[in-house]
Amino acid sequence: MSLFDAIGTAASGLSAERLRMDVVAENLANAQTTRGADGQPYRRKVVVLQEAGSTFGTTLDGAMKGSGSGGVKVTQIAQDATPDRLVYDPGHPDADARGYVSMPNVQPVTEMVDLITASRGYEANVTVMQTAKQMFTKTLEILR
Amino acid sequence: MNLFDTTQLGLERAIAGAGMRQAALAGNIANANTPGYQRKDVDFKTTLRAAMESEQPSAAMDELSFEVETDTTRGAMRFDGNGVDIDVESSTMAANALEYEALVAVARGRTDVLRSAMGVG
Repeated sequence: MSLFDAIGTAASGLSAERLRMDVVAENLANAQTTRGADGQPYRRKVVVLQEAGSTFGTTLDGAMKGSGSGGVKVTQIAQDATPDRLVYDPGHPDADARGYVSMPNVQPVTEMVDLITASRGYEANVTVMQTAKQMFTKTLEILR
Repeated sequence: MNLFDTTQLGLERAIAGAGMRQAALAGNIANANTPGYQRKDVDFKTTLRAAMESEQPSAAMDELSFEVETDTTRGAMRFDGNGVDIDVESSTMAANALEYEALVAVARGRTDVLRSAMGVG
């Protein structure tokens, strides 16, 4: 692991947080979708993150020292298993015999919280990248 | 007297250690939302001090290598078992970057002295 890996690690953090933001956007956009691709109500999607040995440098380092890893990776985009919300709306085309409509299990408040943590996480990774870049520049100035 | 003495060697090692620590801290921030993740750190100062205080400082520093260690002292910060406190990581990272730049400034000062002695600076 060296200073160079800091930039690769921060980049993996940036793409993971951006993906979380994209998924939040999709969830919010489909908060009222009663017919998904399979004809069922839309199900909330969740990004599953895992620690990763992401860059070439860290992998090589890990192979030589038996340790070392860095960054984060997305293992899957899973579906939230929470049951659908039942809303009484007899006039809705997707209402069942009793007049209830199965609405997606998306909670706008949860999505907003996810959006804020993703956006703050993104900013933190940008700061990491800027700091590492500044450190590189200072080091290169030694021989100038 | 050698051109590159133990101070220069110590500076080089400290710069390498601080760089490695920065990469480890970057990993902590990237994993700020990973469930069950424990923070990692590099204690390069203790390792370097032990080498500098040994019988043969330059030999000890030559074969010095730093380890990335998992820090279990803090425990979980959140319900999902994540152990990263983003405020602590950010401030540690800022402090480490300043330390790195200070080391680089000293290294630069030393090379400037050598360059002026060679008549190129």
